[in-house]
Amino acid sequence: MSTTDLSIFENSPDVTAAAGDERDTLVLSMGPQHPSTHGVLRVMLRLDGETVLSADPEIGYLHTGIEKQAENLFWQQAVTVVDRADYLAPLSNSLCYVLAAERLLGITDIPPRAQVLRVMFTELTRIASHLVQLGTHAIDLGAQSIFMYAFEMRERILEIMEFVTGARMHQSWYRIGGLAIDVPKGFLAKIDDFIARFPERLDDMRAILQKNVIIMDRLVGVGVLSAQDAVAWGMTGPILRASGVPYDVRKAFPYSGYETYDFDVCTQQGGDCYCRFVVRLDEMYQAWRIIKQAREKFPDGPVTIEDRKIIPPPKTEIQHSMEALIHHFKLVSSGFNVPEGHIYQAVESPRGELGMYVTSAGGNKPWRVRWRPPSFYNTQALRKLAPGNLVADVVAIIGSLDPVFGEVDR
Amino acid sequence: MTAALLPQLAQTLGAAFLEAASADDMDEAAILAGGLLPAVDVLRKGGFNHLLDIGGTDHLPLTPRFEISYHFLAIPDIMQSRALERGSVRSLTSVVPARFRLRVFPDDMNPVIPSLVSIWPNADWPEREVFDLFGVRFDGHPDLRRILMPDDWEGYPLRKDYPLRGLNRRFNPGGKPGAVPPPVTK
Amino acid sequence: MEMSPQQPFITTKLDEFTRWAQMSAIWPMTMGLACCAIEMMSIVSPRYDTSRFGAEVFRSSPRQSDLMIVSGRVSNKMAPILRQLYDQMPDPKWVISMGACASSGGIFDNYAILPGVDSILPVDVYVPGCPPSPDALIYALMQLRREIEAGGKANVLARA
Repeated sequence: MSTTDLSIFENSPDVTAAAGDERDTLVLSMGPQHPSTHGVLRVMLRLDGETVLSADPEIGYLHTGIEKQAENLFWQQAVTVVDRADYLAPLSNSLCYVLAAERLLGITDIPPRAQVLRVMFTELTRIASHLVQLGTHAIDLGAQSIFMYAFEMRERILEIMEFVTGARMHQSWYRIGGLAIDVPKGFLAKIDDFIARFPERLDDMRAILQKNVIIMDRLVGVGVLSAQDAVAWGMTGPILRASGVPYDVRKAFPYSGYETYDFDVCTQQGGDCYCRFVVRLDEMYQAWRIIKQAREKFPDGPVTIEDRKIIPPPKTEIQHSMEALIHHFKLVSSGFNVPEGHIYQAVESPRGELGMYVTSAGGNKPWRVRWRPPSFYNTQALRKLAPGNLVADVVAIIGSLDPVFGEVDR
Repeated sequence: MTAALLPQLAQTLGAAFLEAASADDMDEAAILAGGLLPAVDVLRKGGFNHLLDIGGTDHLPLTPRFEISYHFLAIPDIMQSRALERGSVRSLTSVVPARFRLRVFPDDMNPVIPSLVSIWPNADWPEREVFDLFGVRFDGHPDLRRILMPDDWEGYPLRKDYPLRGLNRRFNPGGKPGAVPPPVTK
Repeated sequence: MEMSPQQPFITTKLDEFTRWAQMSAIWPMTMGLACCAIEMMSIVSPRYDTSRFGAEVFRSSPRQSDLMIVSGRVSNKMAPILRQLYDQMPDPKWVISMGACASSGGIFDNYAILPGVDSILPVDVYVPGCPPSPDALIYALMQLRREIEAGGKANVLARA
């Protein structure tokens, strides 16, 4: 157990009688096993009755050593381990890492079909992640049926993921140089079905939630973060946009062809939990728009680059060509070398700016993969947002910050 | 915008300035630990108001060994964006930000860097993380203790001379700590 | 406390009844650690629906639950807490180790992750997968129910 110095929370009657208003404070350790902390977060709350005086979040309960593990895997193998950080949106992590490695390698000719598929699936992941956030946030506030609706909608997305990549979560489908495999027949029918049905389901959810008296009572005015504070505390993503700052990595530093898609940056002005809630609902709609445009574009062609030193050759070729066999052997046994250098690549994950500062020392394994996890910085803001609110509001605030402890702790 | 900062940094920092580069993704400057606060001052005046990330890298066979990388973001016109109409989704043209990287190289034997907590409150946790995983101390940090590892952990895990499997296992079957088995080699 | 043929008819039937009651309403505890927790939440969702097995009620308090589904990777910092929660659960209690990380450390072979939660807890059912699909978890639940029905720990408690 962690041995935090609790002397600042000393509540002994002999001491506090003299201290005056310390008398009624209670130190409450919320978590790490708690239904509403969205994972393993421990918050040391100091309470005066029901009002929070200070909140000190403690993290580290899910520290997995992903960064060190990635240093011991080949560049292509590290895609599997990278997926597991932000486990609600695995393809975002993959995309960030793969783009960083491709830039270090100097690959600029990813085929258009692969680009479009990457965008389409990253946006599907965004919708799936926002649905989980919506469902769990609602269940924290007591609305259990929304959880059921949200997860049922998410199942449809996971069906598509499983149909194409073979896995519901942790697809590990993106590769440095394109994609692992192409989409099977029947994919277009499935995605068309999803595109046709999703807006109606989203409108259903909005109708229940957006002007709901209980949701508004619990979320409006809770956890207000002004735009200056949001920038000072390093927020990015829906939280920053809900405070009025229209910063979206997809527009500011476009990647994977996002500059060719037409979508809005969803912003609200209030900065409270309700605004963050609305921003995420709006973002799901924008993600749907992007998927629709990607489907309209859907080009034919290969899904990987031609360079056999990075992407293994197809199995049929290996049976006929000695060179292909040697390439395959080399890739599987010792990977490929990436030129020396370092790069910071960021993508817009559902939580904010997910960045990776990847350093290569010229070898076949990454020298250092430093994450810039959006939830790490978002969870810090709990210290700023919680004081002054009631305990029940702390639950609402944690839900609206949408932390994922896989990436906070890595 | 950022290209103008590089000569300005070189001038302000003097000896603490090692080199500047315009890397593929953003401009960067490599400096020594003593030059961090003046450099941050220059950057803030240049419009960089958002601290994106503080991270560490251990380049062990090379010296200097530790590289602490600071990434900054300049988000302009916050006040203007607040003046926009409230409430509804709008097609806002995005503000065009810029990024900058500072690579700070502290001393190998006793790595100490000034803390940025008084300037940006969100520097708190990443500095604790760099301390926890690399052993680099931050001068002026109010509460420098381990954040990701248990409080009584020995060693700094992300250093290159720390083995992947760790130095000892805390929990084996039976719950007793013990030596780490050697990795399986083919 | 074995069941010998000389045992009276009534206590035999009482045992069977107790075991049936225990297996029909296993209440899991919300022990969601990482990615597997999302698949664990999916079993409550309408598509996989564990409420038809009596296991819909996820109790947050260990004192009110029977089953700890360890879903996710167990780090060194979390291990003593896991043990404390297990000790707080009243008997009879069962543990399902869900996923590769909880069963054996999974894809992580490093300083931070326990090589399997059975270093600290006695496990009844191991579920492979990364993450296991909700179908796999429900299969594990069915295995557990068969185990309870056949005897196992429930046997001791019929006499308590």
